[in-house]
Formats: sequence, structure tokens, C-alpha cells
Amino acid sequence: MPPGRHALPREFIAQHQRARIIAALAEETVDKGYRAVTVADIVRRAGIARNTFYENFSSKEDCFLAASEFAVKEALRRVVDAASKVDAWPDRVNAGLAAFLHYVASEPALARTCIVEALSAGPAAVDRYERSIQAFVPLFRMGRKVSAKGEELPETLEETIVGGIFWILYQRIIMGQAERIEDLLGELAEFALTPYLGAEAAKRIAGQAPAGAAAG
Amino acid sequence: MLDVETRERAAGPERERIVQALIEIAAERGYAETTVEMILRRAGLDRPAFDRHFRGKYDCFLSAWREINEDCMREMLEAYNSEEEWPDRLRAVACEIVEALRNDPSRASFAVEVLAAGDAARARRDMTMRVIASLIDAGRNEMEDPEAISHTTAEALAGSAYGQVYSRVVKGRGDELPALVPQLLSAAVMPYLGIDAAMAELSRGFDPPARYRRDVAKRGSSSKSSSKSGKTVTSAEDYPPELARLPPGRHGLPREFVVHNQRERLIAGLAEAIAEFGYSGTTIAHITRYAAVSRRTFYEHFSSKDECFVAAYDTVMNTLRERVSEGFEEADDWPHAVRAGIGAMLEFLAANPHLARLCMVEALVAGPVVVERYDAAIQSFVPYFQSGREGRPPEVLERLSPTTEEALVGGMVSLISRRIIAGKAEELEELLPDLVEFTLTPYLGSEEAAKVAREKG
Repeated sequence: MPPGRHALPREFIAQHQRARIIAALAEETVDKGYRAVTVADIVRRAGIARNTFYENFSSKEDCFLAASEFAVKEALRRVVDAASKVDAWPDRVNAGLAAFLHYVASEPALARTCIVEALSAGPAAVDRYERSIQAFVPLFRMGRKVSAKGEELPETLEETIVGGIFWILYQRIIMGQAERIEDLLGELAEFALTPYLGAEAAKRIAGQAPAGAAAG
Repeated sequence: MLDVETRERAAGPERERIVQALIEIAAERGYAETTVEMILRRAGLDRPAFDRHFRGKYDCFLSAWREINEDCMREMLEAYNSEEEWPDRLRAVACEIVEALRNDPSRASFAVEVLAAGDAARARRDMTMRVIASLIDAGRNEMEDPEAISHTTAEALAGSAYGQVYSRVVKGRGDELPALVPQLLSAAVMPYLGIDAAMAELSRGFDPPARYRRDVAKRGSSSKSSSKSGKTVTSAEDYPPELARLPPGRHGLPREFVVHNQRERLIAGLAEAIAEFGYSGTTIAHITRYAAVSRRTFYEHFSSKDECFVAAYDTVMNTLRERVSEGFEEADDWPHAVRAGIGAMLEFLAANPHLARLCMVEALVAGPVVVERYDAAIQSFVPYFQSGREGRPPEVLERLSPTTEEALVGGMVSLISRRIIAGKAEELEELLPDLVEFTLTPYLGSEEAAKVAREKG
């Protein structure tokens, strides 16, 4: 804590603390794997008192779930922000995806914790993973309006797209390629656009930023 | 020497009992709660029996997990090959997985437990996922321009299907899986065959394809236990014709393998025969013909085609390892050593396309015995990358995970195998810059990695 912290509003401190604890969990998870991390490790890394941890979270798992929720919210905020700057749906996919990849690349520890562990941990984590996917589903669902098949498309198509993107990110992170994640924009956008626009059009448009919408 | 096999057979029941007990208990109580004592009580065995087969609980988990993955891989390939049309093949694979999960829920729960237990289990799963991705990726052969679509697509489709199946299993909603099959297939087919084919898949429902159904019925009536025991080594009847496409220019033995020694001649003969007929199509008569030795000579050295294959695999891998190690040792610093090692590997594989196919492609479909070796081979390349951790700053080390090296080797091998499957083994050396950049990036950062990768000579 910086000196003179009493001047800070209580809410700010609380938020800051939570963020610090979440960051500590992410870093410890990257170091030793989620299962091996203890609350003591998190407390040490965050430089806080054990009590403070329990004021914020009931358990390690609670903290993990909060980390996921935090990351998804932040990612979604950035994606929506970037997507709303352009009009056409394919441009929105490009812009949103670019913002998403940029965020993942800038937070490798958090990304690893959320993406890697989500597909390996138990029921609560899987629940969280499903909700993360669902958070992004509506953005792709809008693509049905530009598709000739619209609502006839497979019900779980958007889940497939979001899940596929998560999986590719997981693979790249595991391979230590986190810093090159933004290079995936073209391929992932193509993957996402193909079901709605057809392979050819998707390939043409994928990864193209419309004028005035820089990626991050 | 033949005793290895005898010993394995004798060890079979004991080991299998332990593994079965482990799967049941872990499914009931979770990884953390499972103890070796519980396993032994359930299996009706004593501690020395456990120690004969495993080095502790985690090792036992991983072994069981490896066997499940090998079974699963074999069953998938069997399903894939039971059909002729690519979409039906995928459908057969999907139906196989769904049926397996529904018939054996304890395996599904076990998977959930073991995946949470550590990185090694995940790395094993990811290997299986790469095979599934390659079956989806075969869809490009149906397209006018097979290069029109990125390989990432198949990888994403496979991973996403996994996520959807996994989450339903974890939440005890296995009964939803059959309804998921047409959805997943529709999405998988779409990029390759277009929207109309995708809609057709969707309207078919669960609908296991006809031939596959017949196969399952046959399996059920004739040999009840064989598909479960994991010992049906011969089921390599079954590998996909996609994987069987012949690399061009396969004729003519590579000089270094033409030796007077009979054993090595047989090995070279096997490699030739496999290049011609694929693993499943190869008979001992083919091998002896290419080796120009008698059948009797064959049996003096090997008891079966499998045994000969394993020997061939080991020989090729030893040579490959030697080349890599020589290349690696010659260079002055680690990044250039990696470059030289990868260069040596690609050079060897490009110069010997049918050996390349034998060790990179056939090994994956030739059955459990070899899959295990394939795994060991992957592991043997890990230390080269691991030594790159030395002297790196903490912020770099922080980026690496315990299985980064394994994932790098796996990713590299999967890129190489794809080329071989596509019949482009001779062009493998073109991959050098990409592979070097890909493998060095985690340690050096992309800029420095690109520099080493793009150097001339």
C-alpha cells in the first residue's frame, strides 16, 4: 500500500485488494499448477494478511472463480468497446477479436489460469467456463442475420466458435506462444466468420481492420 | 528376449485389476481422496504387487490415463475406418466417443479427476486431441483447393467439441450427448463441405452410420472383452486411408539402411512394405520379399509384424536422435543448437520419406506398443528445449509452464506429420524457419527468435 492510503475511498481499496489477490493466484497457478497452490502461497505472493484473503474469498476455489469472472468481464468490456466502433457485423467480429487477443496477450498469467484450468478443473470451474462461453455467444449470434440460413444453423454453433477460439488460445499459451497470440487474428476470424459468410468471403474479410478502427 | 512378452502377459491381469480398481475409486472419491491402500483393497492385492507395476499414486493415475487414451485413440480410428465417406467417418467417431462415455461413466469421471491432477495428464489428452484434429483436418481433401482453409480450423473444432462434451460429462448430463452429435458434426463439416452439407448433417440427428453400426454389433457378439482390455494390438487393421497416402519418391532404399545384416534388412524391408501398403496392409510376405530373405529368417528375428515394427521404429528413432544430437552439439550457443538440431531432423526425414512416415505417422496408428514408444520419443527431445531455460531472466521463466517443452515438441511433430500425411515429406526442410521461430519464441521472445530463424545457411 502506498503511504497516505487512508485518503483512498474504502471501495477502491477493496477492489484493489481483490485484484491483487486474483493476480497472485494467477501467478502462483502459472508457477505450480492450480491444484498445488495453497491459500498461504497466494497470501505470500499478494503480500497481504491471511485474514484479508478470507475477507474477500471463502476459499481458493472461490478466488479462482472470481478470477475467471473478473477476466471475462474485462475481456467482454474491451470486446464490446472495440466492436461498437464499427458497424458491419464482420467488421465487429474482426475488431472484437483483435481486442480480445490483445487483452489475452497482455495478461498471460490470468489468461492461462482461466483458460487452461477451466477445461481441467472440477464442476464449479466448468460451470464458470460455460458461462464465459455464453458471455461471448450473443456477439457471434448476430451473424445469423447476415447468413442465408439464419436460425436454421446448429443451435450450438456459437458455442463451438467461442470454445474453439478458447482452445486455440489454450494450446498457444501452453506452448509458450502467448506473446504471438495476436498473430492468430486472421485465422481465428476466418474460423468464426466461415459458418455465416461461407469460406471464401470469410477468408477475404478475416483480420481486415476497417479504416479508423485500430486494434488496441 | 521373447520373455518380455511372456512377462507382460503374466503381469496383465494383476496390472489390469489395479488399474480398474483405481478408475472406480477415483471416480467415486476423487483424486485427492484416493489412496494406494484403497486401490489394493478393491483389487484384492498387496503392496508389493502395486510396486511391481507403479511408482506411486500419480504414476498409477498417469498409466491408467495413458491406457484410456490409447484405447480411445484405437477405438476412434476403428470407427473412422468403418466408413468410407468423410462425414460418415467423423460421425462414426463422434458416436463411438458418445457411446463409450455413456457405457462407462466411471471412465468419464476418472478423466475429470486425472485432468485436474496435473499437467502431465493434460499433455496426454492434448496428444489425443491432435489425432482428432487430424481426422477433421482430412476434410480438406474433399475440397477443390485443399489449401484453402487454415489448419487452425480443425484444431479449434476438435478442441471446442471436447469442451462441450467435457462440460456435459462433468455436470452429469451425459444423456444430452447424442443430441449434441449432429450439432457438432454440422459445425465440423461446414468449413470443408459448405453450408448445405452442414444442414444435412444437422437434420440427421444422432444416427450412427450403417457400416459402423454393423461393426459395433459384430464386436459385441464375438469378443466382449477385447475392446476394453487394451491388449488388442492387432487392431491396426484400421488406419485411415488419409494417413496411408503414399509419399512420392518412396522407392529405393535409403543407403544407410541397406546393410548386410539380416535383421536390419528386415527392418528396411518393413519400411519399404509400409510405404507401399500401409501398416495394416503389410504382410510378413511383403516384408520378406522386400528384404529378400526367407520367411524362416524373419521368424528367427521377430515373432510378429508388430515386433518387427517396434524394432524398425527404434532403429529409425535412434538414428534420428543421433543426428539431432550431433547437430545440436556442433553449434556454439543454444538458439543455434536448436536450429541445427531441428535442421538435422528435417534433413533426415526429407531424405527418407518412408522412414519419416513410419516413425511419424504409422507409429500413431500401429497400436499401443508403439504409441508408448512414440511418447517416449517425444520425451527424449524435451531436454534439448529444457536446457533453453538456463540463464533466462525470471520474467521469461514465469511465462513457461512445466509442460511447455512437451507441448513444443508435440506441436512441432504435429506440423511435421501433417506434411508427411499430405505426401510432402521431401519439402520438410522448408519448415525450418517456422519451426525454429516457433520453438525459440517462448525463451527468446519473438523478435530474437525470428532473427535466428531467418538467418541464412
